[in-house]
Amino acid sequence: MTVFKKFTPTASILALSLALPAIALAEPTGVLIIAENETPENLDPANATNSTVNQLLVGVYDALVQFEAGETSVSPQLATEWSVSEDGLTYTFTLRDDVMFHDGTRMTADDVVFTLDRLQAASAAVTNDMGPYGSAKVVDDYTVSLILDAPFGPFISALSRIYIVSKAQVEPHMSDDNARGWLAVNEAGSGPYAVANYKPTEIVSLIASENYWGGWEGDHVAEVVFRYIGEPSTQLALLKAGEVHIAPDITVQDKLALMGTDGFTVDVGAAATPLYFQINTESDGPAGDLEFRRMLAQTFDRQLHLDFVLQGMGSLPDGPLPPNWAGHAPGTELGFDLEAAKAMVDENGWGDVTLSVRYLPAIEEEQAAVEQLQSNLAQLGITVEAEGMTWPAQAATVQNLETTSDINMIYNFPSFPDPHAILNTSFNSQNAGHNGGYNWAQYSNPEVDALLNEAASSSDQAKRAALYAKAQQLIGADYPVITVSLPGSVVAMSSAVKGYTYNVAHHQTFNYMDISVD
Amino acid sequence: MNYFVQRLAFSILSLFVLVVITFLLSHVVPGDSAIVAAGPNAGAEKIAAVRQQMGLDKSLLTQFGLYAGKLLSGDLGTSWFTHQPILDDLKRELPPSLELVVVAMTINLLVSLPLGLLTARYNGTRFDDIVRVIAMAGAGLPIFWTAILLQQSFAAEWRIFPVAGRLGFDNRNFDGATGFYLMDSLFAGRPDIFADAVMHLILPAFALSLLFTAVGVRITRTAMISEFRKDYVLLARAKGAGEVRIMARHVFPNGATPSLTVFGMQFGWMLGATVLVEEIFGRPGIGRYAVKAVTQSDIHAVVAVVLVVGLVFLAANLVVDILLYALSPHKRSGS
Repeated sequence: MTVFKKFTPTASILALSLALPAIALAEPTGVLIIAENETPENLDPANATNSTVNQLLVGVYDALVQFEAGETSVSPQLATEWSVSEDGLTYTFTLRDDVMFHDGTRMTADDVVFTLDRLQAASAAVTNDMGPYGSAKVVDDYTVSLILDAPFGPFISALSRIYIVSKAQVEPHMSDDNARGWLAVNEAGSGPYAVANYKPTEIVSLIASENYWGGWEGDHVAEVVFRYIGEPSTQLALLKAGEVHIAPDITVQDKLALMGTDGFTVDVGAAATPLYFQINTESDGPAGDLEFRRMLAQTFDRQLHLDFVLQGMGSLPDGPLPPNWAGHAPGTELGFDLEAAKAMVDENGWGDVTLSVRYLPAIEEEQAAVEQLQSNLAQLGITVEAEGMTWPAQAATVQNLETTSDINMIYNFPSFPDPHAILNTSFNSQNAGHNGGYNWAQYSNPEVDALLNEAASSSDQAKRAALYAKAQQLIGADYPVITVSLPGSVVAMSSAVKGYTYNVAHHQTFNYMDISVD
Repeated sequence: MNYFVQRLAFSILSLFVLVVITFLLSHVVPGDSAIVAAGPNAGAEKIAAVRQQMGLDKSLLTQFGLYAGKLLSGDLGTSWFTHQPILDDLKRELPPSLELVVVAMTINLLVSLPLGLLTARYNGTRFDDIVRVIAMAGAGLPIFWTAILLQQSFAAEWRIFPVAGRLGFDNRNFDGATGFYLMDSLFAGRPDIFADAVMHLILPAFALSLLFTAVGVRITRTAMISEFRKDYVLLARAKGAGEVRIMARHVFPNGATPSLTVFGMQFGWMLGATVLVEEIFGRPGIGRYAVKAVTQSDIHAVVAVVLVVGLVFLAANLVVDILLYALSPHKRSGS
């Protein structure tokens, strides 16, 4: 671990109280302790698509632009302003000239280009969302150009996960693995916090960086500690004992109980992570039949799921996009109507059909949804064979049409709040499972593809919204998915925590850089 | 000496077979690590590139050849997900688990041997009945359940022991050379950290040992009962030896021999069971590392864990064999 000049709370507060007793300077103070059930794989910004990794990095690194918690559009971060060329292919960014990395070097355009080149060379997961990004070039010390192979409307949004590393620090460690080994356990960021202690299966601690270029106005903590606690009941016991301030992974029942308990707050963030049943549209069996899918589309009670499984913590889905997003088209999916479905089953003689469903049994919500579907379809005489799997196993089955089950459960985790991140991921045939994507319905409709591609290449927001609305109508008429739920991001915390806001662009992270602890 | 060479050769052969089986099984189990490593929205081209970087595009035989070659030179490979040498990951994860097992094993021996001896001596009395009922109950409790019960009562409710972790919050930045905090704290001259580590170990170690202790008491009791019935005990009594002397000098050393074999096996089983306790008490360890590796199809890490656990298992049994050899006159004479 590289050692940086750390903010040492006791020493500086002591110095402060001796020298300037009357002036209330905003110095970070106190410790915020966050429980987390998954252990991080590494600290590498290449891997920031993984939320367990991203939640550590979000305050350690800066990006050119960033979504502030609670915002749905980007704000400048390392870039002060940017312009897009007429043809939509060249993005030119003006950079701040006052940004220092934790190692004391000054951030310039060189660092931005180095970061992007490294991510490309390393086939980093985080570049997957950058669309047709091509290359980066230095214009001058504080100006950088990013060049695309084709226009890509959400490009600026996608840059919010591209964390800029210090070239001076990383370059000596590139070796033959593009510094993946080094950045896995070291950091080279410029954010408000620096990594002080990295024991990835036990505890990770971040310390407020004394020389943070953004300064320390307002209330902030001097140290953020992540504790890796897998068991929900242990997280609850630690929260109640005051040993952790934030416990995101306790059971729904316990969250509900804490809502009415003094000293605790339960925040329900408006997440945009729809859970689907994706129906194999390319199946040789009944699932491949449009009419059969229309019948299936009416067999899931979303309201019941929201009320009993999510205990009301979430919102009722109306198609794949969150209803408050630009471009949302209402009423594209059929509602729950078991009678109508029954009539269709009788009419078409589907009474003895057997369907296979694959899902992740480790996720309570998926398990509960599968059980409801199983029980509803049983009333129609349709047997559902549910097969619980691990993520790599389930992902492997959809790589071929022959091994894709009739129905797959999957969440969509958009990495930024834009219809593209949900609709293109789940419905563009380029992203079909057999093409390595998350469209596990193997859905392919050339008209839909054309609309999604056109919307992606445009930066005219009104035009994009209209195109996405049209695409949802077409998708809805093909019944490739049942959108099961739009679960809220439910986080239980001590009432001492002030300033937490859910960030839709950084799902399952905490804006610890804005939080203070009373 | 011949005996040890045989034992050692057998151990090495077992390990080799273990590695081959695990490697092959990991590839047969469905799952595609390249998809996981490539991340969301990767696309077929990117997945193919990542697969190539990971060496997964080569034939299984080639992959195994490459892996075995590295293994022979002591290289366990690099994890596809932590991007660290797996040896380094294991050096971090094994000590906490071993520490837990050693403490649990100590509790196990301290309870099983004397209780086994005493229940054998007082076979059929009220005391024997009570211990037997407790042992039966203990053997029937699943480890994770015991762990939750102990944690919720002694830690969450009564606050006698800490809820989770290896050290208290104030010692969060403590780090030692070996990773065994009990040892590192003493080397560093920090009895306070030693005590902290002990407090954090007590509940998990009890939870881990209960089932094994229940079995240990029963096995020891059975072995001891047959010893008490032997003629030499009768002779010793006739010669006027006291009960304590009979138990300590005669019955115990002879009766302990069969239980020793079981305790050796238990050491390995315990290491395999640590994951249940680690998960609940929020402790790092080889078990949690293994589960994560399996769920991500991080094949080299899985094989390495199996290899290391196998090594520990064999080492424990080897130690037992040596002890038995030292104790047994038959083996010394080579018959």
